[in-house]
Formats: sequence, structure tokens, C-alpha cells
Amino acid sequence: MYRRLLINIYQVRNGLIHTQNTRLPSTKCKERESFAPVIWAPCTARPLGTSSISFNENKESSTSLSEDKEKRPEENEAKEEVNTDGQKSTEMNECTEISNATLASQLETETVDKPEDSKQVEKTKSGKESLLELLGAMKVEVTTVRKIRPSKTPRMSERADQEPMESAHSMFQHATAEGSQQHGTLNPALVAAVSAAASTLPNRHQAESELLKQLRKHEAVPDTQRRAEGQNIGHIIADMKVGRRTNGRSNARPTSQIRFDDDGKGYTQDRGITGELDAVRRRKSPFTSKRLNIFTAGMEQDTLSDLGPTLWDIDLANQIIQATNQTPRNGFEEMIQWTKDGKLWQYPINNEAGLEEEASVPFHEHVFLEKHLDESFPRQGPVRHFMELVITGLAKNHQLTVQQKKEHIDWFRDYFRQKDDVLKEAEA
Amino acid sequence: MASSCSQALKQHVCKSSTILRVHLQKSWPKRSFVLNSAADQQPAVSSPEEIVIPKKKTWSKEAVLQALASTVSRDPTASDYRLQDDPYLTPKTSSEFKLFSLSQESGKNAAKYFINTYPKYFQKDYAQPHIPCLMPETLEAQIEEVSEAALIERIHMRKVKAAVDLYDQLQQAGTPVSLDVTNQLLDLICFYGDSDPAQENVPEQRNEETEDVQDEPQTKKGRASKASDQLKAAWKENNNAERIFALLSEPNTHSYSALIRGMVKYGAYSKAFSTYTDLLNNRLKADVNTFNALITAAPEVKEKYNEKWELIVDLLKELAEQKIKPNLLTLNGVLKALRRCGTLGKSQAFPVLSEMKALSIDPSLASYNHLLGIFYKPGAPFLGQTDILQEVMNEVSGKSFTPQDPDDAQFFITAVRICLDTKDIEQAYSVHELLGVGENWRLLGNDLQQNIYYARFFSLLCMMENIDVMLKWYRDLVPSVYYPSSNIMRDLLQALDTDNRLDLIPQIWKDIKQLGHANRQKLVEDLLTLMAREKQDQEVQESFAECALDIKKMYDTGDRGKVIMSWTATSLSDVISVLLAAQRRQDAWEILKLFKTHNRVPSEELLNKFLTCVTESGEVNHAVELVQISAGFCLPETPKLIQRVQQEFQLSEQQKNILSDLEIQTFNSD
Repeated sequence: MYRRLLINIYQVRNGLIHTQNTRLPSTKCKERESFAPVIWAPCTARPLGTSSISFNENKESSTSLSEDKEKRPEENEAKEEVNTDGQKSTEMNECTEISNATLASQLETETVDKPEDSKQVEKTKSGKESLLELLGAMKVEVTTVRKIRPSKTPRMSERADQEPMESAHSMFQHATAEGSQQHGTLNPALVAAVSAAASTLPNRHQAESELLKQLRKHEAVPDTQRRAEGQNIGHIIADMKVGRRTNGRSNARPTSQIRFDDDGKGYTQDRGITGELDAVRRRKSPFTSKRLNIFTAGMEQDTLSDLGPTLWDIDLANQIIQATNQTPRNGFEEMIQWTKDGKLWQYPINNEAGLEEEASVPFHEHVFLEKHLDESFPRQGPVRHFMELVITGLAKNHQLTVQQKKEHIDWFRDYFRQKDDVLKEAEA
Repeated sequence: MASSCSQALKQHVCKSSTILRVHLQKSWPKRSFVLNSAADQQPAVSSPEEIVIPKKKTWSKEAVLQALASTVSRDPTASDYRLQDDPYLTPKTSSEFKLFSLSQESGKNAAKYFINTYPKYFQKDYAQPHIPCLMPETLEAQIEEVSEAALIERIHMRKVKAAVDLYDQLQQAGTPVSLDVTNQLLDLICFYGDSDPAQENVPEQRNEETEDVQDEPQTKKGRASKASDQLKAAWKENNNAERIFALLSEPNTHSYSALIRGMVKYGAYSKAFSTYTDLLNNRLKADVNTFNALITAAPEVKEKYNEKWELIVDLLKELAEQKIKPNLLTLNGVLKALRRCGTLGKSQAFPVLSEMKALSIDPSLASYNHLLGIFYKPGAPFLGQTDILQEVMNEVSGKSFTPQDPDDAQFFITAVRICLDTKDIEQAYSVHELLGVGENWRLLGNDLQQNIYYARFFSLLCMMENIDVMLKWYRDLVPSVYYPSSNIMRDLLQALDTDNRLDLIPQIWKDIKQLGHANRQKLVEDLLTLMAREKQDQEVQESFAECALDIKKMYDTGDRGKVIMSWTATSLSDVISVLLAAQRRQDAWEILKLFKTHNRVPSEELLNKFLTCVTESGEVNHAVELVQISAGFCLPETPKLIQRVQQEFQLSEQQKNILSDLEIQTFNSD
């Protein structure tokens, strides 16, 4: 499988993409492309679009590979997505998953996808970036897929488990090694997978044999060619991240595929979670749609409310509070509520809470109050003695602010000034 | 990044792939693709960001408590925190719950009322540091003289009439009032629609919770609020606001804004628009609040959908012209208006949201709520729109929202309504999961909305989930956060029925009793029918019989003046069949007598069944009595019953006489 992938990439790189239908086995190619015109219509500018010429005649043979057919539209759509915004590229990831899941033909479609993107990388810088972004997105998606459906690892998952995250590079090595061994014969796992896939189709035996034939064809590609190409591609492949494969999807598909074939209207909504996830990935999210284009970004909010909150602002806040659930769920939340109301001592505990106005006053202002006595009190005598006692008392008082202490001293100053006569009389 | 990864891969090929996976998963979400070749030279494992350890960390005052609060998770066996004051009073039914929360609220209000009415008794300030919110508010104006300060004081106290009077006095005295103060006065008048505000001590929940939460609550609420708006004074022609506004020599943006908002609030929509034209004529700029008000008014002034939308677009363009940045409320207002624009809404909603993002305004839950409202009209069929909810959920999942818009609280009930309508249990789970993220639970809204939310969630569970999962949710949520209504209990019974777990019925009956639904006739009858329908195991049948007798008690005792349920023929026969199946003939016999006392007529089938049962036990007296009862009701079946009794029992002479008498009677009556 990997060998085939490499070959395809190389071919594509050399501009062989237009020859897709000559390169591929004719029947399959036609079948696939019978769908191409329908879905690829939006992305006309793409080189792949050229291959969508006149293929409706071979419809009758399509039953055998209807599964292939089914997947096709989805992939195409994904490609379209890639082109337009490059945000939600999940399909490539999907492709890789599917390819591992068995179908060699599937693998081919995948390789067509990838090289094309890598071509863009070469052409334009931005193209490369978008591809990388894609790949990055794809990786993320892989992990989510895995999270959501941990239990669903159907038949082919053993291999994926062994190599959970295999780099493209090492896969390449692996593939070449494998390829040389099984030249001529098919990997038994592949055969098993083919028969499993075929069993989902109506015409079981025919489908199986055709699939196997297809696989053998791929095996028959000359070894030499492969080797020569392989070295060149090394770094391209290294650039491409072939994600790990969670398949689970391969068994979800056929049912919807059949539905698609039956009514021909397009896929119907799948109600399962897998179906829904796929649907989301397939479609472009409406949240990234075009905008009204009335405003230009970066406008400044004019700040009219220099008067503080108006009545309307308060009312809005009130309405929001009324509308939402503000009741506490536990004691701590109630305490948070109280803290906000200012009813509770704040954490972390601070001894000086509520003493904000004194915070900037150093302690010596409180304690050393002698300097306030200097100017107008007598230097010695009973008044001086009394005042020294007063400041000693004040120095020890923690209830008063420095300002209040000063005022206290000032009061005595005034008092003694008023009693100046009396004092003089008594002392003199 | 990809190239660096490839470098990494080359270096680490030999290492185990798990390490790589860890590395890749870590580095990819960042998606910084601008790495140059220099970056490629670096070792694969990106150097850890330098951690700057701050010298001092200032914690907010709630940080410690928040950390502690986050350690407490909900205990499904306990009742809500606010109900835990007194275990005796812990409510068990929804009505008790209503009573409890109402009385709690009104207690608070009463205390506040007393403190504010008699402030002189509450002057002692024990608290150190001082706690302002515990002190009485001043409700009387302190400044008596006619001055601007007095006007400001009255504005702050929200005394509309007094402020207007004072303003007039100032005008008469010729004292100029500054424009700012006048604007504040205008704000006040417009806000209250030129009448004094009602007393604010309104109870928290004045919504009447009705039994059928299945109804569309939004429309109901909408109607209710509209009605109350009409009761409220509408905008009067030439009211004080307009008068004072006319007196202004040079009204500024703020004055216009106040007037327009007042007009919109009190329903004078077209007047608001003409005022806006005035504003433009005076070469003034409007502010964003004015536009918000006008956008709300836009759907009211135009008839056709496209006219409405054009008006809104015009307004938005003027916003942009005047270089005013719209805020979240503007765009939410647009979305809300789009809900009334029919199909136009569907095409325009997403561009509006994109616009929002382009302006780097994060949509709030209200935005998404309006979006859902646009795409899922209640009662309308859902054609291929099921994934809009999916899209919305993709956008919002895992995010924690802060309340920014009064409509935010509608999101969850809307989302769960859609899940219920589309029968999408997976989405319902993801909605419920979102509810658990961060502070999102606050956005579920008040008790009524919570009730609606859980009712919908539950009926969806009843419909879609298997009974084990369903019961897990039931045990988790009932009754600690949700008191199911009797309709939901009936859904639950149906779920039990579909999953064939009728053996749980006695258990559910206990819950029903506790939830106060034991006197809901319909529910009880459903329960009885389910129990009577099939014959169960001996053990289960025994518990059914107990349950049936318990139900009988509910019929007997209508305690505390509650409406007593009345026996119907079906409920009586159901009870009897349950009892008979459990071989409790004595109890069944007593129930049979109730037919007579309640003037109900037993069915023939029941009597036959009863007779079969009596035959098994061989009680001749009962058999005869049964026939007598049957004859008493003049049932057409009586002759057959008589025949059966005569054949199947060894009758005494006297009994034979009775039977033949009855036979003649029935014959005659025929």
C-alpha cells in the first residue's frame, strides 16, 4: 500500500496528475469519476477537475466498488474545503484512515489528494503554510476522534495500535521493507480486510475478487521504479503527516453510502455521533461565513461615560443579576458573596484591614511625639512634666490616628496658652 | 513546525513512537508555522518557556475562598445549600421549595424594611472596620433648601417627582442647573417613565410555577412581561422628560440618549426615531446606547421583514459612519431583532456573528440563544437544521461564560428545548456538560428556568435513554436540584414501562409520595394501570400489593384540606386486580365494597376474575356475595355468574335459594 502511495506521489509531483485516468485501472477510475463532475463542480480551478470528463457510461459496473464511490464525494468536498479556507481539513486524515482500512483503490484517491497539496506547497509559500495548518488541524482532529470513540476500533485497528504514531518517513521505510518481502503475494491482513469489505457489499464474491485483483496489480509495480522514486520523495513525505489511523469510520460508512446510492439526492443526515461528527467536518462551519462588512475592525470605543455608571448601566447590571442564578452553592461561595458585600474579613487575613488611611504613616510618628512639644510649651516645670506624661500616654494609644494625637496636643497647647496668666501667677 | 517535526522524526526514529506522539500532540495545537531554518537546527523538544517567578503575588480578596469553593462538588444526596439551615424545614416538594425560598427572601426584605424605616434604632456600629452595607440607608432627603445639591441628592435617591419639583423651583428661581445634572435628571425620569419607582422589596420569585412546565415558557413569559409593560405607564405625550428636554438650550448627546432610551423603554418607538432624526439635524453624534435602543425598537416600527432588516442595517451603517464601536449588546440586539425577521434571519444571522468576531467581540450565550431562536422556531418542523445546534455546541463547548446580557440565561433552556424537539440525546448531554463548565451554572437562570431546563432534560432522558442510565440521572438530580412535576413522573413511568422495569414502581411511588404528587389523580391512575396490567413475579406482586394499599390510603385521607382524589371504576378495578394477583383476597374484597360506596360500577371482566380467584380458594360465601353485588349493579353478566357459581361450588340450601332468587330477579328486570 505504501509503496503505491509513494509512486503516486512521485507521479503527481512530476505533473502527471492530468493523466490520472490513464494511470489508474480503467474501470475503477471511471466509476469514481462518474461522481466527479457532480461534486467537483465548485472547485473548477483545480487541476484534478480536468479528469472529470464523460464517465457516465460505465455505471453498471459500479456495484462492485460502490463503497469506493461512496467515499468519493466526501473527499472531494473536503478538498474543496481545503482550498477555500484551509481550516477544517479532516478529510485527509480520513483518507489515511480509510486507506489503512483496506481498500487499495481508496489509497489511490488519497494519494491524489495529498500530492496535490504538496504541489501547492512548492508553488507558493502561502500554499505551504495552509497545508501545514491543515495538517496541524488534522492531527488535532485525530486525537479528538480517538477520545470520542475509544471503544470502536474495528477489525483493522490492530495494526494502528501497534504503530500509533508513525511518521511518514518511517512508514516509508517500513513500506519498502514490506514490499520487497511480499512481492507477488498479498499480505494476509489485506486479504482479510478485502473480504470483510466485500462482505458489506451486495455482490460479495465478485467484489472480493475484484478488490484482490486490484491489490495485486499494485503489488506488481516494478521494484526498481519504486526504489528510484523513493529517495526523491523522502522529504516530501516527511513533510506530510500521515496521521495515525483510527478507523471505526469504515464500518459506519457503507450504510450511508447505500442510502446515497438509493435516492441519489445526496447524503442524508446520519443521526449517530459518528455521522454527526463527519457531517461537521465535511461542511464548512457557518461560523466562518462572510460578514456584514459594515464596521471596520479596530475602532475605538468612545468613552462617554466619564460621569461614572449611569442609571441605565446600573439597571443593566441589575437585570443581569436578576436573570442569572446568584445563589451560593456552598459555604465558601456564600463567604465570597459576603466578602464582595464587605461583610466578611478579607482573606488573606490582614491585621490592618480597615486602617487604610494610617497605612502610609510610619510607626515613629505614633510613638515619638516629643517634637510636637518643642515650640510653645515651657522647657521645664510642671507643665512640661504634665505634657511629657500626656505624650507617653498618647504614644501607647493605638486607637487614635496621628492626626488625632496632634490635635490632642494642640488642645493642651491652646489650653495652657489661655491659662498663661494663671500659670505665671502661680509659678512666679 | 512541520519541518521541525520532520527533523525531530529523523533524530528520533529509533525512539519509541509514543514519545513522538506526545511531542507531536503537544506541539501541533500551537501551529506556529513561522519557524525558520534556524529553528530547524534546534533539538526537537522545544526549550521550555522561561518561568518568571514573581517576587510577590497579590491575591485578590476572594482568591482563597474561590480555591476552597472549587474543592466542593455537589452532593446529590443533599439538598441545595440555601435550604440547609434547618433539616426540619428542608423542602421535599416543589411547593415547599417555593415556600421556603419565598419566605427566605421575604424575611430578608422585612429586615431591610425595618432597618430602613427606623434607622434611629440601628445606629450602633459594632463592626470594626465599618461595614457600610449593614447600616440603614438614608431614605429621606437631608438637604431641604432649593439648590442644585438638593437636586443631585434627590436624583441619587431616585425620587422622580421630588426631583422634578425641585428642578422646576430652581428654574423659577432662575438658578441655572448644569447640563450634567439635568442629564442625570433626564436619565432618572426616562428610566422610570416619569413616575416614582415602585417599592423595591419585591420577592425574588413572583413567577407562578405552573404544573405543566412542558408548555412553551418563553412565549408565556413574553406575554406576561408584555402585559405588565402595558400595566406600567406608557410614554406620555409631553411628559416631564420632554418638557425638561425642551427647556434645554443646548441638549447634548447624553440628553438625547436618555430621551430615546426612555421612549424605547416605554414603547414610544416611532417617537424615538423622530427624536433620533432631531439629534442628527442638530449635528450631534449619538452614542452606542442610543443605537442599541433604536435597534431594539426597529422591528416595532416596520411591518415587513425586509424593511425591518433594512432599517437595522441603516442604523448599523450610521453607527459605523459616526465611528462608534458597537458593543456586544448592539449585536445581540441585532440578532434578537432578526428573530422577528422571518426567513431573512436565517440568511443574516451568521454574517452578523462573523461581524461580531471581526470586531473581536466574543459572542455571549445570548447571541447563541438568539441564533438558535432564529433557526428553531418553536413548533415549526426542523428541516435539515439539526446541525445548527451542533455548530453552536461546537463553538461553545468547554467555554466558560460570564453573564453579559440579560438574555444569556435563556440559552440553556432553548438549547435543551431543541434537543427535546429533535430527540437528540447526545446534544442534550453536551449541553448539560457545558452547564458544568466554570461558572456556567449561573447562567441557567432562576429557579423557574432551572425547573424548565431539568424538566426538558428529563423528559428527553425518559424518551431516549435506557432505564438504567435514566435512573442514574434521576438519583443524581432528584430531589437535590430538581423536583419533577407529575407529568415528568408519568414520563418516567412510561420509560419504566418501555424498558420493562415495572418492578421499580413501588420505589418510584415512594418518591412520588415524597414529591407531593400522591394526590395527582392522573399520575396515580397511570401507576395503578401499569401495576395491574401484567402479572409479575410473586415478590414483585407482593410489593405491588403493598403499594396499591398505600395508594388506597391516599384516596381515603385527604389530609390538610387537600383535594381528595375520587375513585374511578378503572382505578378500583386496577387495585383489585393487583391485590388479587398477590393473593390478597381479603383486601381485595374490601376494595370491592368501595364500588358500592362510591357509586361505581365494576366491569364484568373484573367480577369474572374475582370469581375465579374465589373459586381457587373455595370460599362459597364470598362467591354468593359477589353474585349479589353483581346483581345489585344490575349487570347483564349476572346470570352467567350465577351459573358459574352454581356449577363450581358446593352450595348449601340457603345459598341455592339466594341464587335462584337473584336469577329470577335479573330475569324479570331483563
